[in-house]
Amino acid sequence: MGRTVTIVGTAALPVGKWQSPPDAQEQTLEHEILAKLVLDAVEDAGVERTDIGTLSLAQCRPYTLQKYFATFMAHHLRLPCAGSVAEILGNGMTAGLAFEHAANDILLGRSKVALALGVNFETATSAADHMMSSMRAVGDVDFQGPFGITPIAWYAMDAARYIHEHGSSREELASVAVKNRAHAALNPLAQFRKPITLDDVLAQPMIVEPLGLYEVPPRSDGAVCLVLAEEDVARSLGRPYVRVRSRGFFHEGAHQISEVPNDMTAFVSAQAAGRAAYEAAGITPGDIDVAELYAPCTIVEVLVSEALGLVPRGLGARCAAQGETRLGGRIPICTSGGLQSRGHPAYVTPFYSFVEIADQLRGRAGERQVANAELAMTSAELGNYNAALVHIMEAVR
Amino acid sequence: MLEIFTVDGPRAYPPRVTAFTRTFWDALSDGQFRTTRCDACHGYTFPPKPFCPHCWSRSVSWAELSGRGRLYSATRVHAAPAAFRADAPYRVGIVDLEEGPRIAVRIWDHDAIALDAPVQIVALRYEDGPLFAARRLGVPG
Repeated sequence: MGRTVTIVGTAALPVGKWQSPPDAQEQTLEHEILAKLVLDAVEDAGVERTDIGTLSLAQCRPYTLQKYFATFMAHHLRLPCAGSVAEILGNGMTAGLAFEHAANDILLGRSKVALALGVNFETATSAADHMMSSMRAVGDVDFQGPFGITPIAWYAMDAARYIHEHGSSREELASVAVKNRAHAALNPLAQFRKPITLDDVLAQPMIVEPLGLYEVPPRSDGAVCLVLAEEDVARSLGRPYVRVRSRGFFHEGAHQISEVPNDMTAFVSAQAAGRAAYEAAGITPGDIDVAELYAPCTIVEVLVSEALGLVPRGLGARCAAQGETRLGGRIPICTSGGLQSRGHPAYVTPFYSFVEIADQLRGRAGERQVANAELAMTSAELGNYNAALVHIMEAVR
Repeated sequence: MLEIFTVDGPRAYPPRVTAFTRTFWDALSDGQFRTTRCDACHGYTFPPKPFCPHCWSRSVSWAELSGRGRLYSATRVHAAPAAFRADAPYRVGIVDLEEGPRIAVRIWDHDAIALDAPVQIVALRYEDGPLFAARRLGVPG
């Protein structure tokens, strides 16, 4: 096709608790937050408003009262679009798919500039009530739901199996949370920034055994706007930008578990998506300088970094404990602080990964900067990594 | 036959029953554990389905399962959804049945069961209907 997609601008709300209780006298509303980010991101990019042809939104949580949010935003911004205006949904992969929808409009020549954006507000709903909804997204409502299997209970079962099979330990897994908090301490967008020790992590109350409070994602609100552009536009702007070098996707045709036993902790979809992305980019895992992976729990970061070949199979937790995945280590992973510490506004979480990678590859990551970062990787997933979406990005300066 | 335990009160989050899955739930109430098996490729399916997801044949039959298997993984849930607050903390797991299928279960045991240990499926008879769970094999009721 001869077209190449780039990221030329970003703007993000610091992850935290922003949603107002329904009875608050004064409300913080999603469209006001997002409109400001659109203006910030477009200014950051330096593109013309009139060049924007696509508005690709991550669907809002059901707690957002304003419905048809994408078309409402097109109205709120008075933004005519000749590419498309759409809302995308796909569990934790939502923002990854919204990014792809925007990118595809550029690849198809429908838009020169496309916005991928979204706002995830959910914290005014309690965790116990939110889980009544989320458990229906991560299993069979009739044949698994009645047992009370929560989303992260599946990851906890990954952890139990991983420790059993690979001789790892809760302490090794917990070291991922310590590492991610150290990264978050350097990230103004992160929800939790106070450094913690391994003892702090191990002292937290259990959430789903063997994972305690600091090893699972917090409840979070967040909002992001990314500006994507065809590479001719990016070149004309005269600023550093990020080239989307390749992508890989795979859905294994199963959700959580199927009746056919497999190696649950191998994350075969991440393996397949990673292979496709590496092959399309003509690189190997050793070429990656920094990776921002979708990993709600410590164990998930270990398993996906193994599946993507960034660390050896069965040794991911040990590599993390030994500092290989820390800033300054062999392959820094989740320099933003990851989902445990940067936070997890689920429907926009992959957008935050793109923001971090754009900062790293444009040399704007401040104290988190990975020196001479040229090639970076992101992942997004749904289920228990039953589907994976992987992107490889390249710095153009 | 599965061991049957009578449980006080209704199920916290009851399954919906269809004309097709009623066969499964009614059998479970009577202590029988069954699912569908493909007449063409002989693959088991769980949950039971009126077609075979492995080869898309529409010809399937009900097959009895022994209820014996091994515990593939397990966890104990402390932070529970609202409907399960009264149960928390509770154990759930993944069992590989001896006939092959892998299923998710509630664990009917106060103590943790070692992974790969043999387990048996039991029927839980609540006031409003049945559920299934796994417990250590050979432990007297």
